[in-house]
Amino acid sequence: MTSATEVLSPVEARTGPRPSTRGWIVRIGVMIVLAGIVLWRVATIEPFWADRFALAAIYGIIGLSLNVVLGYTGQVSLGHHAFVGLSAFLSAFFVTEKGQSFWIGLLLATLAGALSAGLLGLVALRIRGLYLSLITLTYGFVAVNSIFDIPALTRGGAGMPAPRPSEFATEHKFALLCFLFLGLVLWIDWRMMKTKVGRAVLAVKQSEAVAASYAVSVTGYKVLGFMVSGAFAGLAGSLFAHRATTVVSADFSFREALIWVLMVVVGGLGNRTGVVIGSMFFALFPFLVGLVNPLEHFVIDTMGKDPEELTLVIGPALALLTIILYPGGIGEQISPITRWFRGEKFSLHPDGHKPKAKKPHRVPALLRRLAGRGK
Amino acid sequence: MAVLEVRDMGIRFGGLVALDAVNIDVPEWEIVGLIGPNGAGKTTLFNCIMGLYQPNSGTVAYRGKDVSLLPTHRRVAMGIGRTFQNIGLVRELTVIENMMIAQHARIGYGAMAGIFGSARSFAEERKLKAYGLDVLDFLGLADLAKEKLDGLPYGTLKLLEIGTVLATDPDLVLLDEPSSGMGPEEAHQLGERLLKLRQTLNLTVLMIEHHVPLVVGVCDYVYVLNFGKVLTEGKPKQVQAHPEVIAAYLGSEAEKVEADAREIRDESGAGLAPASDGGKERDRGLS
Amino acid sequence: MRSAIVTGIVAALIGLVLVLGGGAENGPNPFVTLGVLNGAIYGLVALGLVLVYKGTRVFNFAQGEFGTLAAFFLFFSIDSRYGGLPYPVGIAIALTGVLLIGLAMERVIIRPLINAPRVTVLVTTIAMALLLVGIEILAFKAEPRSLSPMIQAIDQAGNVNTIQIFDLAVEPQRLIGLGVLAAFGVMLAFFFSRTDLGLAVLATSQDSFATKVVGIGVERMSRFIWATAAVLGAVAGILYVPLTGALTPAVMTQNILIPAFTGAVLGGMTSLPGAFVGGVVIGFVQAVSLWASSTWHVGERAIQEILPGSEQLAILVVLLVVLLARPQGLLGRET
Repeated sequence: MTSATEVLSPVEARTGPRPSTRGWIVRIGVMIVLAGIVLWRVATIEPFWADRFALAAIYGIIGLSLNVVLGYTGQVSLGHHAFVGLSAFLSAFFVTEKGQSFWIGLLLATLAGALSAGLLGLVALRIRGLYLSLITLTYGFVAVNSIFDIPALTRGGAGMPAPRPSEFATEHKFALLCFLFLGLVLWIDWRMMKTKVGRAVLAVKQSEAVAASYAVSVTGYKVLGFMVSGAFAGLAGSLFAHRATTVVSADFSFREALIWVLMVVVGGLGNRTGVVIGSMFFALFPFLVGLVNPLEHFVIDTMGKDPEELTLVIGPALALLTIILYPGGIGEQISPITRWFRGEKFSLHPDGHKPKAKKPHRVPALLRRLAGRGK
Repeated sequence: MAVLEVRDMGIRFGGLVALDAVNIDVPEWEIVGLIGPNGAGKTTLFNCIMGLYQPNSGTVAYRGKDVSLLPTHRRVAMGIGRTFQNIGLVRELTVIENMMIAQHARIGYGAMAGIFGSARSFAEERKLKAYGLDVLDFLGLADLAKEKLDGLPYGTLKLLEIGTVLATDPDLVLLDEPSSGMGPEEAHQLGERLLKLRQTLNLTVLMIEHHVPLVVGVCDYVYVLNFGKVLTEGKPKQVQAHPEVIAAYLGSEAEKVEADAREIRDESGAGLAPASDGGKERDRGLS
Repeated sequence: MRSAIVTGIVAALIGLVLVLGGGAENGPNPFVTLGVLNGAIYGLVALGLVLVYKGTRVFNFAQGEFGTLAAFFLFFSIDSRYGGLPYPVGIAIALTGVLLIGLAMERVIIRPLINAPRVTVLVTTIAMALLLVGIEILAFKAEPRSLSPMIQAIDQAGNVNTIQIFDLAVEPQRLIGLGVLAAFGVMLAFFFSRTDLGLAVLATSQDSFATKVVGIGVERMSRFIWATAAVLGAVAGILYVPLTGALTPAVMTQNILIPAFTGAVLGGMTSLPGAFVGGVVIGFVQAVSLWASSTWHVGERAIQEILPGSEQLAILVVLLVVLLARPQGLLGRET
């Protein structure tokens, strides 16, 4: 029988050599050093900043949660604040009203997130795409306006207290706890996508018929995707509650949910590292302006604006920029580094190809005109 | 009892009757052809057999068991494999990952174990990868293992799809136009390959095809579908001689087609008989 | 024909409830009347949503903010501390301003993405909406302001201008809203069935490739659709915000967008008369659930106290029921 390679045109093997053991040791070493620097900084910085870093880590988890739904399963969820908020309230409720320990509260919050998102997953079996996004948006409104208003759960306007566990009560310790959980979520996300679950979810996203022909249960994995996303969101909700030590309904609004969607887009859909970086950036940005004194003065005195309000414009603007010009987001921009970590040789361009020259018509004509280059 | 029995299959989309009282039998180890003009309902029939569409009437029985109410993934797990007209591969995954997901039905760890990274999942993943590489090796595609699917040539993708179907370890394979995009040489070789695979793996095949020499050379039996109904059925030679079929397809090409078909049969030497020690041949797998 | 029948039935039902409820002391009719009038605003926004969807198959999440922006422009034009201009001038400024912004957004943001997948464009409209909200906060500050309606309910001289409908004193602004909706409905219906551009838009929504081949300017169409949607959104804002009592950033998106979307889905995302009908029905549903939750009791407490926010819940239920049972809505066609 003629061999396949005689029939097919030759394809250059572009896979390249695998790194040696030494190569892996270097990569793992660099990862450990980087993580170490981050954690050391978190542990030694002033409490104000440690607290902000805790929020950044929590945003990272929220970003990863949305990334599972948006990036991996390809559905748009505009109501994630409902999952995070519900879990936050539940965690606070069980610790304050029912006297449970923080860890039980955390666990229950995670389960609640998984279950409520699983419910949404069931709805997603029948309702797709744009219409599903509408359902999620509406559900988010319902949650905020009815569930979050139930006095027993939320103690009304004053909010429900959410004390921290004694072992992690300080800003520094709690921040480290949040980073630990971020690491855990990253690891789970990595394992999930590397094993049969990841393959199944991506197959279902691309074509349900093809996935089914591989004996993948389409409904099962769709719901599982949502449940994992919900579990991450629930975890984030509990951490959020106990970081703030009081949970108020106002913390969770539909605008938050929309901003979270944007931060995942800026990070790069489906790209774990990019999403974490993007999410942290969104969490820290209002305070980053404060770091650079001249910039802070410029914003507050010359422009007369509050730096926090600036975020509200920069965030969406970045998202639009990403969508129109740099669709891969941050993840795409840092891909030389992430690919090196994954074991490829370091190179600025994937597969030895240079990126396509930016076609002129991709730059909107208006911008070109503004740049003075005429039509 | 045939491996596949389709009885009285009917489905309509709005006002359009896509299939009407279709009866198909695919006996064990036979290669059965399904031909007909575009729009006759051949792929629709495949989708109904697989469970991707819910027919308005009719049943599907696999090895005597009624599978009409089972979801698609269960039918696949039972042993029915299927290729797609537009290449049924997952483009988001690499070549080797496609080979690994093809083995999904037989993976030895649960979803949760995978998510939390149990030791078992690591070991199983290595096994999946090894088997996947074996199949790729057999097809001569091993050095493409880590490649993404975009940019690979059409012929490679078609070959890969056959590899993934085989990796699902099927008894019955539904092939949707396997020779599409191929020239006469390649279609020849495909025919030989099919006959060989049928022999070594004890496959039963139901094949949608337009390439008439391939059908005549390889199929034991042929159904002709037209406007959703079975126009006629029979051995390839009989069908070839049927006046309505000739009118629709073969016209004056009949003699040339007959010569090409003879060529395929002679060259492969595999003929139409299944392996005599079916079981043992099968266990040896592909290596 | 079919749409005319359904519109007729729905209108008759609503009229029936209004008439039958006349004179009842604790009856639903004040709520209902209010609901229907609110529904007119929802219908106006829904018209914009359906228009964009028909032309580009995209959900425009920024539709609400066109209204908020218009309200802000109007406020700063007519308020004595800033512009002090007459009301009609203010309206003209608001409409023009939002129209220009809508066209700018179409050019800079929507046009480059003309072939992008729909989910991408959805996220884009979300980003657009948030960008507008951010600009509003940055430029106009978040403190609530009061935007006065066209005709004051009780004006400076102490005259009462409200109109009595059964037991309810209706502000003139609401009736103007109903009238404007009807006017736009008629205008758009005429436009789509009689003019070339209108027919072209309809054709595009059914088969955009074919229309490109035939040579109808896709870019011109896109501009037109977004311009009209912006104007519809602006008009809705001008009509609605004075009735809420507080002009804050994102006010329209917060209060109107979801009911409007639900109304559009209920009527059928591909049907313009459907948007009209759907919006009004949603207003009705909202009003009835508000009334029910405040008057029906479980034991001692009204439902409203146990589970607040029932109007939103009712809308979610309608949305789910429609999408699960009849996704094309009352008047839409199979997509």
